[in-house]
Amino acid sequence: MNSRRVRRGITVVTLLALMAGFGFGVNRLIASRKTKIPSETSSYVPTATRPAIVLPGTLYLAQGGQLYSLSDGFFTSLHSSTATGNWMQPAYVPGTQEIVAVLRAAEYSNLYLLNSQGAVIRQLSNNAAAAKNVTKVWLNHWMFWPHFGPAGTLYFAYDDPKNSTTYAVDFSIWSGSLAGPLAKQRLTTANPFTGGDVDPTPMANGDVMFSRYSISNGSAYSFIALETKPLVQPLILSTGTQDCGQATPSPDGTMVAMTCIGGTGFQSTRLEVAPLVGTKLGTPHILVNNCLCSAPVWAPDGSGLVYYNATDAAGHFELWWIKGALTATPAAPLEVTTNLDFDATSPPSWSPLTSIPVMTR
Amino acid sequence: MLLGFLIAFGFVLSGAVGAVAYFMPAIVTAFQDTGHSITLITPAATAATTASAAPSASPAATQPPAVAAPGAPFTVLLLGSDNDAKFGGTVLTQSMILARVNPKTRQVVMESIPRDLWVPLATGGSAKIDDAYAHGGASAAVATVEEDFGIHIDHYAWIGLLGLVNLINQVGGIDVVATNPVMDDYYPADLSGKDPYAYERVAVLPGPQQMNGIQALEYVRSRHGDLRSDFGRSQRQQQVLLALRAKAKLLGIADLPDIATAMANDFSTDMSISEIASLLPIASSVQLQNVQQIILASPYTSNLQIANEDALQPNWNLILPETHKYFPAV
Repeated sequence: MNSRRVRRGITVVTLLALMAGFGFGVNRLIASRKTKIPSETSSYVPTATRPAIVLPGTLYLAQGGQLYSLSDGFFTSLHSSTATGNWMQPAYVPGTQEIVAVLRAAEYSNLYLLNSQGAVIRQLSNNAAAAKNVTKVWLNHWMFWPHFGPAGTLYFAYDDPKNSTTYAVDFSIWSGSLAGPLAKQRLTTANPFTGGDVDPTPMANGDVMFSRYSISNGSAYSFIALETKPLVQPLILSTGTQDCGQATPSPDGTMVAMTCIGGTGFQSTRLEVAPLVGTKLGTPHILVNNCLCSAPVWAPDGSGLVYYNATDAAGHFELWWIKGALTATPAAPLEVTTNLDFDATSPPSWSPLTSIPVMTR
Repeated sequence: MLLGFLIAFGFVLSGAVGAVAYFMPAIVTAFQDTGHSITLITPAATAATTASAAPSASPAATQPPAVAAPGAPFTVLLLGSDNDAKFGGTVLTQSMILARVNPKTRQVVMESIPRDLWVPLATGGSAKIDDAYAHGGASAAVATVEEDFGIHIDHYAWIGLLGLVNLINQVGGIDVVATNPVMDDYYPADLSGKDPYAYERVAVLPGPQQMNGIQALEYVRSRHGDLRSDFGRSQRQQQVLLALRAKAKLLGIADLPDIATAMANDFSTDMSISEIASLLPIASSVQLQNVQQIILASPYTSNLQIANEDALQPNWNLILPETHKYFPAV
């Protein structure tokens, strides 16, 4: 009799345990149906990955506020301190293994000269408002998109001067040098209340190609512009309908790569190349359509170009490569990296020099 | 026989408890933030004629709104508010977007209503349309838009600043193509600082990029450095909604508890949780080319100075025909 009760008790307890387990299982089964998007936001650091192909020279890139170099098929972290902001937009100094990069703080950004290990050699600008003016946020300034010209001149976008009587804050293109005053010469006068002139890319002949923003008929448009003489109205090479920017001339100066905004609700871009004849831009050819392509940069030898594109569900920007982009028959785009998440507002900088700090790899 | 039934029932009950436990955050949100009813407000006959008209605490008359049949096209009024400390609980709607969704044809029309539009309020008097919410919550905002635009609104959804930030963070950020540098030296520092009246600087760089919730909020909220002012940010708000749609394509019903938790206290709607869930597959199947966007800039509106305020004068002769092309007139 007792053993019967015991058996019955064991059976009931077992059934209750099974029911509880079943309930828990249902709970976890539903949980397993959750999308993986949120968890995918944590990507690998570049140094934990290898690119699909080995690209020539050294690429400098930014991810998560840190700078990395990619050389000989290996990523190397440039161990720059992020205590006061995020590093972005590296630009190699021609003929050296040094770079200039932007350190972006909450309300201002500065340019720094770094060595190949990422150590700060020198702070090049001081765009933070003085301590006594800490509440006057408008006394801060932004400086972005550094890029060296062939003569060692440094070009960048800067939001000075600001007119204190209006809300206007617009970038214009400036130049200076590492040896002298950084913001020595203002080159352009931006359209007010548009965001201004950005992304200067110097050409071999001293002209500067950049993106100029304009607002008309209720929409903002980007134009590819060419500054041939300081503070003279630039030549406009593209139309508002094309809405192109991030222009970068090929090393031989015959072709321009650019991204153009398109699609309903400005949800996508096109990666295009167009021949550059003198100061005229020819008919563009679409390399990649309906993408989130950004920041094209030519290989120093002109053998192709890299750019960022986001193709996975998480929307992470990876590095892509198109071989033969200068030719009439470019190769299909190749995804160079996976599981990374590059800062798409930081164009890569591509030095012809190979730089591998082996000890920190 | 009975024993077998009891055992089977026990397992079914246990499974149901497991499922309910999983969806508990969404269920709580459903009770707190969703399923709110809209009461259509009839303005008092003696309404004042200024923006300071008192809100109608107890509407003079109410009537239940007609609800669109399942599968039929419906209209949602999307409302977004600065609901930080400086508003002390009386919030305006800085963003008002009418959305017409046709589940069968998978077509969507979005019409941004300028927040400065000077209109008669359903609660009485005239004021900027963003004031309607402050004078009677979602019911007043819905009634004002219905009366002024001559349309019927089936549902509303309201979201606060943190709700939008948390929603975007919850879906892992959104990819946005910033159309131009968005610069503002007078962006409200109400989420990051102790002083809700302080300013901070914003610079959203142009081009494609992934934005987290705070960055996306800066993109849709900033207006001082834009020649188009509020119209510029209206366009950016629609852009971010479409970017969110791209992420919504990847969401399923199992994601609702996390989203509900993220948006708790900063979201409300009259839609039930099942109605919201039924919208996910619609969002996933709407093609971008089937989305129509309308911004009521000039000549639909013109600048107006009234009661020492900058406002926008509606040109109803143009607005109403344009609106009724997509939103049926009533």
